[in-house]
Amino acid sequence: MKILEANAGALTNFEVLDFLRSRGAGRDPTRVIVPILPSEFKVYDYLEQTAACNQTRQVIDEFLGKCKSIDLAKAEILNIINIRPSSLVELYPIIEEYDTRFGEAAETMEEFVETVVQLLPPPPNQMQSEEEEGTSTDQKEAPDEEKTEAAE
Amino acid sequence: MFYLSEIEHTLRLPPHLLNLPLNEAIKGELEGLFVDKVIANLGLGISIYDIRSIDGGFIYPSEGASTYTVKFRLVVFRPFVGEVITARLKGSNAEGLHLSLGFFDDIYVPAPLMPVPSRSEPDPDNKNQVRWIWKFDEQDYPIDGVDEIRFQVHNVSYPSIPLEQDRDSKPFAPMVIKGSLDADGLGPISWWI
Repeated sequence: MKILEANAGALTNFEVLDFLRSRGAGRDPTRVIVPILPSEFKVYDYLEQTAACNQTRQVIDEFLGKCKSIDLAKAEILNIINIRPSSLVELYPIIEEYDTRFGEAAETMEEFVETVVQLLPPPPNQMQSEEEEGTSTDQKEAPDEEKTEAAE
Repeated sequence: MFYLSEIEHTLRLPPHLLNLPLNEAIKGELEGLFVDKVIANLGLGISIYDIRSIDGGFIYPSEGASTYTVKFRLVVFRPFVGEVITARLKGSNAEGLHLSLGFFDDIYVPAPLMPVPSRSEPDPDNKNQVRWIWKFDEQDYPIDGVDEIRFQVHNVSYPSIPLEQDRDSKPFAPMVIKGSLDADGLGPISWWI
């Protein structure tokens, strides 16, 4: 074995997930027919839990365009796409030497977090909590209907 | 987190694969060799991305199989130092936390890299485990394994294969990630949202 190029390009979580999906992961519930190894399914299962599962190429392209206004390293942008920080404090560990580089530009960074939240779709666990809120309101409505029916 | 790596490999194609198309046969062989394996200083092989070229096909004297030189690209998992990754709690003891990504389990957060000040207490639910608690503003924040945990990569090491191993030592891990929770924004996600 000879390593020609150890780093022939970095991939975001989304790109790996897209690659696995393009080979058929996820469409086959039995996981036997598609030519994907069990270890690859483990990666797929992990990525389905992360923010990558709802991202699309357009969304990421648009986000990369917005990133140009802020002086960020490539690895930091990659990490932001993978993690999707929804508040300023989640951004601190991702960006190296945050205080010296952006400590004074608090407003622009807050705006930047807002664009992250607006552009990149939320990860599944946050979506669920939103949905649960939705269903709980539905449930509140439902007993009222029953009551009205009972009254009739 | 994930990278593409271009690799050249010379492999012997066993004759029982001759009924398959060459591409498929070679891909199958490469998957057996590289996928779900750690290559030292390169990372964990995730998947064969594409095959760039297949050369050769020589049959060497007194061999019953053809030998090909293949150039291909491999998706590897190789976190960089400083990267933030979400993981799940796998175990915890007095020495620190053991985290897992599902496909990769050898992530450790040693006690000195836990959030300061934090302490460990015996877990009431599980005798062999401890529970780590971070104290902040007179309030206790336990790490209980319900939430996903964000950690920062402190270093990645590729230990060499030990010549002798004790009977009761933990299984050899070819790639170990040392993580840190000691910064704002790290730890269970519920601490910050």
